[in-house]
Amino acid sequence: MEMTFDKELDARGMNCPMPVVMARKEIMALEAGQILKITATDRGSIKDFQGWAKVAKDMELLDQQTVDENGTHLYIHYVKKGA
Amino acid sequence: MTVPTGEWTVERLNEALHAGENIFILDVRNRDEAEAAPIEGTKPLRSINVPYFEMLESSESFDFVESVKEAHDRGLMEGMPKDEPILAVCAKGDTSDFVVDALRPLGYDIRHLGGGTLAWGNHYELRTVTADEKLAVYQIQRLARGCLSHVAVSDGHGVVIDPLRHIDQYTELAEAEGFEITAVLDTHGHADHISGGRSLADRLDVPYFLHPYDGIHPLDVLPAEMEYEFLKEGWELAFGTATVRALHVPGHTLGNIVFHLDDRFLFTGDSIFIRSIARPDLGGKGETWAPIHYRSLSRLLELPDETLIMPGHFSGRAEANDAGQFAAPLGELRETNDGLQMVQKGEKPFVDYILGSLPKFPEEYIDIKRVNAGLLEPDEDEASELELGKNICALSQAYELVGAEAEASA
Repeated sequence: MEMTFDKELDARGMNCPMPVVMARKEIMALEAGQILKITATDRGSIKDFQGWAKVAKDMELLDQQTVDENGTHLYIHYVKKGA
Repeated sequence: MTVPTGEWTVERLNEALHAGENIFILDVRNRDEAEAAPIEGTKPLRSINVPYFEMLESSESFDFVESVKEAHDRGLMEGMPKDEPILAVCAKGDTSDFVVDALRPLGYDIRHLGGGTLAWGNHYELRTVTADEKLAVYQIQRLARGCLSHVAVSDGHGVVIDPLRHIDQYTELAEAEGFEITAVLDTHGHADHISGGRSLADRLDVPYFLHPYDGIHPLDVLPAEMEYEFLKEGWELAFGTATVRALHVPGHTLGNIVFHLDDRFLFTGDSIFIRSIARPDLGGKGETWAPIHYRSLSRLLELPDETLIMPGHFSGRAEANDAGQFAAPLGELRETNDGLQMVQKGEKPFVDYILGSLPKFPEEYIDIKRVNAGLLEPDEDEASELELGKNICALSQAYELVGAEAEASA
């Protein structure tokens, strides 16, 4: 199911730590309550976003999805900027 | 190939672990992975786990190297020594490289593990157990996972037992030593790692053997969706001048097999390990299978003392002999193996003991059994994730024992 979002980060092909580093930068630029969609190809990003959400000060992990796109797995994360 | 300064290859790490070198581990993976798959040596290693995203969160910087420095200044790496060698590790070896860039200028003697714990988990060592004109036996060790497989060769014909997922090493060994692999055998349907059995047999166009009871997923109760030849009690295969014979020893699985080679070597898969024995509960029926396991192990104990036990797993590197092999004569294990000691006390004490020593049941083992029955096809990333961490096929005391002994000798 496609969620609505306000901004999108294409992290395809990025290796750790870049998906989290870039997502953090994008979130800073959002208004409170806005949602960022991150599309990554690194499977490690699933657990890393979960771990990061536990310690992040102003971010909430809303949902994670795995999508098959022409045989490539995409790992999609939706995060919301907190107050 | 030149290796950059500040980087250790997995081969270098293995040397250090084998030699008991003093290294301090800075693990920057997320907490789940760091806990599930720590780097372990023959003696305990000191380590701290500081997930890289916690370093980022402790800093205002968007530059990762800068945020590692700030995290350090705020005390996140407390306990990390300045006067001892440190190895930074992450999952794939990129993040740990940045960590070295940040911490070296601060005066730490630090390098990182190239390829990360993923490369370490996929690292194999080859040991020659015997090699004379009539028979060679090789043990292939996947050290980070505690998985062992074996190749027996006679007169140019080779048989592979319990091949592990990365099958190139078997074809490369065959090429290097000049033999032809003529059969692939699995002792049982593995729960802890993905078997290379079916894929190796496919590549070489040779038969793949498994006991049909293990061609049924025990929890799904679904038949395997792959081709295999049926093993049974008394099955024999002659290759060169050698003969391998199957003994059906249900307990760990219902189709559990051990292979007896020329009445000298016993490839015990998941039945007898060096320090311990296999658990009976991975099919979800521990209480029902424990007495069956007892009868199977009692039967194996009737074999001659000089039978060389070559197991499918180890729990800790301290179990290796001086030659770095995980192998020991049955006569010795009768006296030193806790599980076999309990077998000798009788069925009731054995069953009580075994049901009281069950470690946790890793959920991913259900899926791994599906993969090994051809019911599920993971891609490379999913396969690596399923295989994260060391196997938990032995009774829990094996792990406690190894830890306690290692501490005592530290």
